[in-house]
Amino acid sequence: MGERELIGVAGLALMFGLLIFRIPVGLAMIVVGIGGNYALSLVVPYLRFEPYMKQFKSLLWSNMANYELSVVPLFILMGYLASRANLSRDLFHGMNAVLGRFRGGVAMAAVGACAGFGAVCGSSLATASTMGRVALPELKRLRYAGRLSTGTLAAGGTLGILIPPSVALVIYAIIVEASIIRMFQAAVVPGLIAVAFFLLVIMLSVRLNPAVAPGVETFSSAERRVALQRMIPVVLIFGSIILGLGLGLFTPTPAAAVGVFLVMCYGFFLRGRHGGGLNLQGIKSSLLETAVTAGMIYFIIFGAEVLKTFFTRSGLPAALAAWAGASGLDPWFLLIFMLLIFIVLGCFMDSLAMILVMVPFFWPALVDLNGGDYVSTDTAAYGMDIDHLKLWFGILALVVIELGLITPPIGLNVFIINMLAHDVPMSETFRGVVPFIGIEVVRIVLLLLVPGLVLLLPGGLSP
Amino acid sequence: MRKLLESTITVWALLGGVLLLTIVLVTTVNVGAFTLDRIARLFDFHVPGLSGYEDFVRLGVSAAALMFFPYCQLRRGHVKVDLLVRYFPPRLQKALDILWLLITATIAVGLARYMLAGLGESRSDHVMSPVLDWPEWPFYAPGIISLILWAVVALTQIGLGQDTEPKRG
Repeated sequence: MGERELIGVAGLALMFGLLIFRIPVGLAMIVVGIGGNYALSLVVPYLRFEPYMKQFKSLLWSNMANYELSVVPLFILMGYLASRANLSRDLFHGMNAVLGRFRGGVAMAAVGACAGFGAVCGSSLATASTMGRVALPELKRLRYAGRLSTGTLAAGGTLGILIPPSVALVIYAIIVEASIIRMFQAAVVPGLIAVAFFLLVIMLSVRLNPAVAPGVETFSSAERRVALQRMIPVVLIFGSIILGLGLGLFTPTPAAAVGVFLVMCYGFFLRGRHGGGLNLQGIKSSLLETAVTAGMIYFIIFGAEVLKTFFTRSGLPAALAAWAGASGLDPWFLLIFMLLIFIVLGCFMDSLAMILVMVPFFWPALVDLNGGDYVSTDTAAYGMDIDHLKLWFGILALVVIELGLITPPIGLNVFIINMLAHDVPMSETFRGVVPFIGIEVVRIVLLLLVPGLVLLLPGGLSP
Repeated sequence: MRKLLESTITVWALLGGVLLLTIVLVTTVNVGAFTLDRIARLFDFHVPGLSGYEDFVRLGVSAAALMFFPYCQLRRGHVKVDLLVRYFPPRLQKALDILWLLITATIAVGLARYMLAGLGESRSDHVMSPVLDWPEWPFYAPGIISLILWAVVALTQIGLGQDTEPKRG
């Protein structure tokens, strides 16, 4: 490793060091990116600093003026509007009308509603907090154990990051230059497996210890009919978006924009009919919430761009890829090692920042390990070509990052749900997510061993 | 004074939001036109989509995204890791917060300066959007204003001590 690469390593270490001192993630990336490029210019004369800085004349603007990324604020806005229009509540009540009569059914309805809401929201944190507000009071009323209710909602919230559309998937697809639609298609089956596994965990928990879910929901037939009637339009809106994307009928930006339009129209319709739904104040609040979330994401994206230039100029990703290719280590061992790094980083780093910082390092190494850019399926180390590898690795990385959202010591979703459930101690919530962590590990192993689960839809449906 | 700044930044973010809603409307009309076209083609008719729609989205979102930055700062929305600092003495926490706010303001002003130069170059080079043929330089202006507002917000937050409670991990 030469001086250039060493500066790259020092930059990476400095960035993690700065993060520990509570610097905003995007800012840390920019500081290290610019500082690292300055350090490189001192060591390598031809990597001059002034010409590098001149790219800032257009770098920020061109980063924002990106058609593919326009989907990000639109999906965020759709999630907030759906939440303000109480579509999340209608979805949960409808699911509850179907499942609530069974023991543990309200918790299962919460998982189903999380999956449905994740289809319009694209963010795990927003899914967890929105569904937490809706479902926790119901679970408490029916005397569900705090451990089961908070654990279920923290785990259910993670579905938002995987079930399409997902902001994290869009960003990953842009980094590795994969088709966003195919990424969304690849996420459908693993997302459904997660839902099935979470339901299984709830069923087993209730079977083993019936005291954790003592009450069942009783609906009169009129109440059930109303709940189902109010859920159907929500399912149609959310379903048309997820199916349209999954089947490749829409591209992401039109799907998101039409989704925003439909949610707004339905919100106004609800306002006129029941007095709930959306009003101007609701739209204003949704726009301001979108400003905070989208501003945060765009800042990290820009920071990652600055950081990427530094790492590329340092030659570190290429050196790591060359080392991985020549190391003689088992490709499967290195893949699992990469996933473990994601889990460790997930304990203290934001998921989006993790994707933006680590994927540019891991991806070239993975391509090298697999046998290069033009490898055929027969000779590839992972048994797939580069296009399929992009999809498979992206889903594996996201599932692992999901796991970080419910893993101690940080587990962001656990904290969000615990803040909403005032009377449940944090230790109980962490105990509640343990079975879900266990089943997530099973899912990761399954996806590692059977890549076909990821590749089924994009392979079968795309031209 | 602070109230005026907060109102200005809130209105600025809402303007960005209105721009986003305009993108929604234009995209929906475009999707509607394409859908109608598919049906109309069965009867030998043609319904045109909006020419240059992707250009419009690209230019619109470039302004909207940057218009969200000052409001995000106002609400302390930028993601940070809080593993260790929450255990530090309050004075050290405050000192770190001031340092990061100063760096934020410096970088925002620096970016605004470079973007202003970028606007000048884009204007003198007559850079146009590929399909709509609109000049791109006017779309730099909201970004420059946003960066200046961002720096001002960061500077006014120094010493307010809003950052002493745990944020995201």
